[in-house]
Amino acid sequence: MFTTLFFFLFAGMAIGCAVSVIYQRNPLYSAISLVGVFLSLACLYVTLAAPFIAAVQVIVYAGAIMVLVVFVIMLLNVEEEEHRITKVKYLLPTAILLGILLLAQIGYIITQVKSDKNIKLAESPVGVTESIGTGLFTKYLLPFEITSLLLLMAIVGAMSLARRSATLTPTTRIIPGTQVLPKYLVDPKAKYDTTAVESETTEEVEKVLGIKGKPEE
Amino acid sequence: MKSAIRNPFMNIDIVVSTILKFTGAFLAFNLVLGIVAYVVLAERKVLGYIQGRLGPNRVGPWGLFQPFADLFKFIFKEDIIPDKSTRFLYFLAPLIAVTCALLPVVVYPFGPTVDLSFIPFVGKYLGKFSLVLAKLDIGLLFILGITSIGVYSIALAGWSSNNKYSLMGGLRASAQLISYELSLGLALIGVILQSGTLDLYSIVNQQSGHLGITGWNIFWAQPLGFIIYLISAFAETNRVPFDLPEAETELVAGFHTEYSALKFALFFMAEYVNMFTVSMLATTLFLGGWNGPGINWLYGHGYMLVGGLLGLVYFLSKVCVFLFLYIWIRGTLPRFRFDQLMNFGWKFLLPVALLNIVITATLKITPIYDFVSGLLKFVGINN
Repeated sequence: MFTTLFFFLFAGMAIGCAVSVIYQRNPLYSAISLVGVFLSLACLYVTLAAPFIAAVQVIVYAGAIMVLVVFVIMLLNVEEEEHRITKVKYLLPTAILLGILLLAQIGYIITQVKSDKNIKLAESPVGVTESIGTGLFTKYLLPFEITSLLLLMAIVGAMSLARRSATLTPTTRIIPGTQVLPKYLVDPKAKYDTTAVESETTEEVEKVLGIKGKPEE
Repeated sequence: MKSAIRNPFMNIDIVVSTILKFTGAFLAFNLVLGIVAYVVLAERKVLGYIQGRLGPNRVGPWGLFQPFADLFKFIFKEDIIPDKSTRFLYFLAPLIAVTCALLPVVVYPFGPTVDLSFIPFVGKYLGKFSLVLAKLDIGLLFILGITSIGVYSIALAGWSSNNKYSLMGGLRASAQLISYELSLGLALIGVILQSGTLDLYSIVNQQSGHLGITGWNIFWAQPLGFIIYLISAFAETNRVPFDLPEAETELVAGFHTEYSALKFALFFMAEYVNMFTVSMLATTLFLGGWNGPGINWLYGHGYMLVGGLLGLVYFLSKVCVFLFLYIWIRGTLPRFRFDQLMNFGWKFLLPVALLNIVITATLKITPIYDFVSGLLKFVGINN
């Protein structure tokens, strides 16, 4: 009885938050609503006797990924999106079609899938820390390792894109003009070098520092 | 009978045990909040003595009623909301802070199993139980999850106040929390490897060595992990020497600059409750939780209740040692610079934490571990 009660409570919360993600004008409110979705999903996992997955859901999605999203929104200071009528004409029919498809799926699940009331969730080892650990390090070792390699590649890629060591750092964008700055502020390699750098254009900066500037997009 | 099972509100057993559970939760939370209120006073007193002052001594004998005076002051102060703040998030932030600070309390084992079945009427519902509100299999992960949610309170508070200092403080705090959470988590992995479980209760149980002291993880299992945990915990709770988010000389008061009255009190309380829960985790994982001299003896001779209460006393006094350490360090050390903080976290603490995992894993699978425990058994140190 309590399980059903909690299911409807958290499922309702999840759907409510999901609707809120779409309908909020302020992107930060949308992000916070998405955190709400993740938390309610975690609670649903707990009622399904999968505490480990619930914890990972909270730690990874709500605690790490969404924090970064919130960070970006806060740093960019995105303005509220103004209400405007969609100009793409095929969006509405597509949405209706997809909605009908979703309803049909729900109908199919309700009518066709038979529920077995004798199954007790708490006795199933799926979702318990030990079974997941054993699975990851025996049966699914290769996919697990490949996934971690993929993530490592993404990290290395992000680092190499964000950090161009031999060229000017983003701080040099403020150099052209009449500013005078110590050299170490412009060039990370020139540590503690307080020689003044004065310049009018990016070419001049390159000449003074003897390094290749980032081309202006 | 069947209807009684189907409707839980008709079943007297379920009703009574639910009431008892709520009572236990009420007691535990109030115990924590009471201690936290007096930690604030203790901090002001100890800082006073360190700096050659007396500290608060006007309200009640030795200033003992100061926490209540502070509380009433916070309640009756005017609650100022900045005009251009984002109202909803401005209200939400302190609530998230307090909730995330208090929630981990439910999984900490305060003491060993006690037997209260001798009490008339409610005794049969109490029976034998351990002094922990929720025995979770994933207790450690639960704590980590709740802690990672806590970042939102600071980030949102900084953003919604619409104040430059608040925003800077909020960003600094979030960056710091995210960075040091990694080292903290890796330090915990050492303990998890060591004990092979995520359940805090069994981790504590495993640490009962000779005299209830030699089994502590800090001594020969995880000394390095303990130091890493302690440093990251100081950063996680935004305390000196890592209190950059509220560096008053640079940022006025950081993320809670615009907060006043009860909302400020909530942030203030959350900081101290965080200190408390972090100390509880250190005690549970590294200092043997409620283990101590005499507990095993009392349990062996059937004095379960006395043993349980002694365990509770041991646990709380170990936590208080940590809290004193917090205050002591605040009175002793200067603050880090932000780049030093980040360099230290990412380039020193994180690699050392990884090294700790490697060492622990190596010791776990090589015979060195068995050799050492065999040697200790031979000398008669292990029980």
